Order: sequence, then structure tokens, then C-alpha cells
Amino acid sequence: MTSINGLQFAKMVEMGSHHLHQNADYVDSLNVFPVPDGDTGTNMNLSMTSGAKETERHAQEHIGLTAQAFSKGLLMGARGNSGVILSQLFRGFSKQIEKESEVSVRQFAEALKYGVDTAYKAVMKPVEGTILTVAKDAANAAVQHMGDAQDLAGLLEIIVEEAKASLKRTPDLLPVLKEVGVVDSGGQGLVYVYEGFLACLKGEDLPEKVTVQSMEDLVNTEHHRSVQSFMNSEDIVFGYCTEFMVKLDSKKLLDQPFDEAIFRQDLSELGDSLLVISDDEVVKVHIHTEEPGDALTYGQKYGSLTKMKIENMREQHSDIMDRDEASAVKPVQHKYAIVTVSMGEGIAELLKSIGASAVIEGGQTMNPSTEDIVKAIQEIGAEKVLILPNNKNIIMAAEQAAEVLEIEAAVVPTKSVPEGLAAILAFNPEATVEKNAQSMKQASASIKTGQVTYAVRDTSIDGVTIHKDDFMGIAEGKITSSAPSLEDVTKRLVSSMIDEEDEIVTIIYGEDVSAEEAEKISAYIEEQFDHVDIELYAGKQPLYPYILSVE
Amino acid sequence: MSIELKNEHGTIDITNDVIAQVVGEAAIECYGIVGMASQHQIRDGLTEILRKENFARGVIVRSEGEEFHIDIYVIVSYGTKITEVAYQVQSKVQYIVRKTLGLTVSSVNIFVQGVRVTNV
Repeated sequence: MTSINGLQFAKMVEMGSHHLHQNADYVDSLNVFPVPDGDTGTNMNLSMTSGAKETERHAQEHIGLTAQAFSKGLLMGARGNSGVILSQLFRGFSKQIEKESEVSVRQFAEALKYGVDTAYKAVMKPVEGTILTVAKDAANAAVQHMGDAQDLAGLLEIIVEEAKASLKRTPDLLPVLKEVGVVDSGGQGLVYVYEGFLACLKGEDLPEKVTVQSMEDLVNTEHHRSVQSFMNSEDIVFGYCTEFMVKLDSKKLLDQPFDEAIFRQDLSELGDSLLVISDDEVVKVHIHTEEPGDALTYGQKYGSLTKMKIENMREQHSDIMDRDEASAVKPVQHKYAIVTVSMGEGIAELLKSIGASAVIEGGQTMNPSTEDIVKAIQEIGAEKVLILPNNKNIIMAAEQAAEVLEIEAAVVPTKSVPEGLAAILAFNPEATVEKNAQSMKQASASIKTGQVTYAVRDTSIDGVTIHKDDFMGIAEGKITSSAPSLEDVTKRLVSSMIDEEDEIVTIIYGEDVSAEEAEKISAYIEEQFDHVDIELYAGKQPLYPYILSVE
Repeated sequence: MSIELKNEHGTIDITNDVIAQVVGEAAIECYGIVGMASQHQIRDGLTEILRKENFARGVIVRSEGEEFHIDIYVIVSYGTKITEVAYQVQSKVQYIVRKTLGLTVSSVNIFVQGVRVTNV
């Protein structure tokens, strides 16, 4: 078939829905994200069933109208995150083909892609490693290879293959999946839908149930889910995680025939998180119970026990909670980078800690060149970059670097480290480069910067007489005071900068200043201005004993 | 304003701003939410999507005796099933607050302040 009409599409939907329905339990077992409540399969199944019913009711030759009915049914019956996303995918899909009486391979691929675009638009922070990612990868593959597909079945083969590959990759994108050892549940659900579509086009029957993944994976998921539901170890009702295998014994089976349903029913009375998998020879059991002995004794009625493992979960619980914390760290994505310039390793660390991807060593006497900036950006391998020079003498070089680079780049003309800090804090990873440059510039303009440095010769600037080796206080680039004592100059500078509106004073002290000296300054400010909060950092910068900001 | 927890070692105070930030982050990750909105839209500018630092304007934490309640003001995407999206936010917020702050929320109330139509 090089094109399909509405009636054929309705059959595809029916098959997709049926296949998902068959495997809903398995999809439930994978559900650990966004909330590990094990209902993804149930929800998706309900949504898809509602879509299929509506399609059946309005199935006709005209595919545009049939797809519209499908989309409406999905929307009305949408349940759960995955259900809502599924409805969006097909809302876009059906909108794209609403006027067609039948669609070709090309149109089908493009409609799928349009559906993905629609689905992505409906969320502020798309989480990758979910059904969204699987849908996106599959649609991209469809568009990319639509020329190679002989017919629609060929296209669906490409779609299913890529959806499966993408599903396999989900644990690399979403740490919680990797930790539990599962793939994304919503993504798995979508794969079933696509597999159903394909089977319908090929005129094949699908296996009633896929073989369940390994016991270990299921146990992992089960543990994760049960751990999530306890805040304290004391709350654990069934304290022993008990696993064993029963080697079925034909003699014993004579007076005690093995029936998995009965076996499961009997054991379920002893605890929760029960998993039973059996074939003709062995039964694998996993259960959380307070009476592990009873579970083992029950298993012995059917045969001999092997591979027994009993663990006290009250002891393990705290470990798992710790592990959860660790996995919350998101993988680094270098799509968007902030490259900035500073002097002193303390400042570099500070900049990195709030979000700078790379800090180029620079400073008053050794400004980085355009080439240095370009190189630093290329090393990160970002797609979009914001450059913060933190010094007015470097702005030009940064502007040139932005022009030379072949990626999206913009310069936020920060003139000092505090301005750079303020700019980074205003960064929004969701916004465009242009928007970020604008808002970051605004943020950096709202703070006042002060610097303390020493004079290299006798001079008079801005009406202030300066002697060699004296310290100078510079507020917003203008010299305001000069004196032999570092402490006096710094105190005077800060006092002149703070007004009623200000809330935060940040002090970054240099390599020549001891922590005690800096503390002294901080204590003085606290005493004089009780309405401001003070943040003190060891910047380890040369030449400038103090860099300050007031906001 | 803050939530105070007592245990044998002393007390833990969690400010409303922290709760608002945690709740807001959880909410905007939910599918169908295009942003957080302000409780007082007229005063703060109409249907403006809040930035991270202003989540507290759209997340109101109220404690009544031992219980506490959260009101969340959101903007949803046009064409989604709004009731379902709101339900997802409620369940995710309950979960996150319990998991990260160890608190049980008595109620999570969603106020849909706007619908964002996006033309693909």
C-alpha cells in the first residue's frame, strides 16, 4: 500500500490499541517516572481505548475525518501524563492531514513529525528520556527515510525500529530509569501502539503477550516503588525481602498440582510486592513479608528450594534513600554554554558553581584574545553560547569571537565579575540566545560594582589625589577615595555605595587578603547597615584586594 | 512565613519560598503546563509567565494548625485535557513534597489562570 484511507487507518488504530491493552500490565511494571505509582500502562490503555472507540464509531473512507475522530477520542479519554502526551501527538498528526481523503508514505511521515512538534509545544520543560523522546526519534527517522520506504508498511517498519532503539536509550537520558534498570514506561507504551499499526499493515497477528523481562528487572522496579512509599525505616510493614526459586517436583505435584494463580493468591496473603514467574520446571518468587519462613515453607509444598535470599529491608532502606539523592543529579548537557572570563581560581570556582561552563583565565594585565575565547567555546562543543567578558577591555574580543563562531553566540557586555555573577543568575536555559542576552544584560546593569586596587604611581584622577602604593577605591569605574590603609579605603568605598534600597553586599577578597581581614570588613558593614545581607567569597584574585557588589 | 518541623534534635524551618521553588519546579515539569502564573495577575501584569525567581508569586503555601495547603497558579497548553493536566500536577506535587521535604500536603489546589495557544 503506497497510501491508506480512513477505513484502513481505523483498523491500524484498533490493532495498536489492542496490542497496548494486552501489555498494559507490563507497562505498569516499568513506571517509575514522574511518580512511581505504576499506573502508566493503565492510563495509556484507557486513553487509547477511548481513542479507538471514537475512531470505530466514525470510521469512513476519508482519513482526515477518521483521524480527527481518533484525536477527539484520545483527548476526551486522556488519562495520566502519558495519555495526555499521546493525545497531543495525534492531535497534531490529525490536524496535519485533516483535509486528506487518503495519505501517502510522505504525508504520513510528515504528519507524525507535526504531531511531535505539537506535543513538544505543550510543555515548558520537556523531559527527555520519556515518551516524548521516543516519539521524536521515531518521527525524525520516518521523515529522514520516507524516500527509502516502498510502502506504508515499510515506513512503519522504520518507525518501529527507531522507536525501539530510542526506548533502549531512555535510561541514558533519565537517571532514575538507569538506576532502577528499566526503560521508560510511556515510551514502551508508544512502541506497542506503533507495533500494532505495523502488524495491521502487514496483516500479521501479534503475540498475545510479550515475554516478561527478567525477574531481576522486575524486582528492581518493585523495590524502588516500595521504597518510595516510605519516609522512615520504621514505616516498613513487611521487613524482609524474600526471594527464592522452587524446582517443581513431579511427585509433589501429584497431591499439590501447581497453578500459578492459586500460588500467587496464597502468597499474597503473606506480604506485598509479590512477583511470581513460572515455567514448567521452576517458579521464581519475590515477596516482601514479615514471615519469610512461611513463604519458604509454602514454596516447599511444590518442590525443592534453590537460590534463597532473605534481606532485612529496614537496614537497607537508608542506603537506598541515599542512592536516590545521588541519582537526582542531571546529566550534563552542553547544548547551551556560558563562557566567562575571570582572574583568580576562587572566582573561577564561584562562577562555575552558579552555572558557567568554562572560565577563561584573564585579568587586568593578561586579557584573553579572540582566539582564546573561540578555543574555549569549541572545547565545550555547545550549540548555543553566551559570552561574559567581565571586563570592558575584553568586550571587543568577545564580540569578535561571537562573530567568528559558527554557532549561535551572543555577548553579554559585563564589565566586572559581580556583573558576570548577576548575569549568570538570570540565565534561563529555555530561552533563546537573544532573549537571554537581553535579560542577562538587564540583570547585570542592576548591580553596583566596587573595586579596591593600589596605585602604581603618583597621580590625580577624578579630582582625587593619589600617591604611589596607596590603595584606591573605585565605584562603578570611578575613583572615589584613596588612602594608605586598605581597611579605610574599603570601608569608605562600601559605605559610599550602599543606600536604603540595597539588600545584598557581595565581597570577593583577593590573594593578598587574609580571611580575618575580610571578616573584619564584613563585620563593619553588618554593624553600619543592618538591612543588608553579606556574602563573603575567597576569590584569590591578584591585583584587586577586594571586588565588591551592592544590589 | 515558614513550615516548622520538630524532632528530637531541635527544629527545622523551611521557608515558604523554598517550598514554592520546589513545587514550582515540579509543576513546570508536568506535561501540559506551559508556565506558572501570578496569583494577582492584574497587579503583576496580565498572564505573564513567571520566571524561576518569582515562583513564590504563583505558589501559595498556607498552614492551618498542623495541616498545610498549597495553591498553585498555572498556565496550560491549549488542546490538552486541562482536568487531567491539573490532576498530574497535584499528584506530582504531593509526591515531590513528600519525597524532598518529608511533608504531607493536606490539599493541592490548582488555579488555571490562562491557556496558551501555540501555533506549530
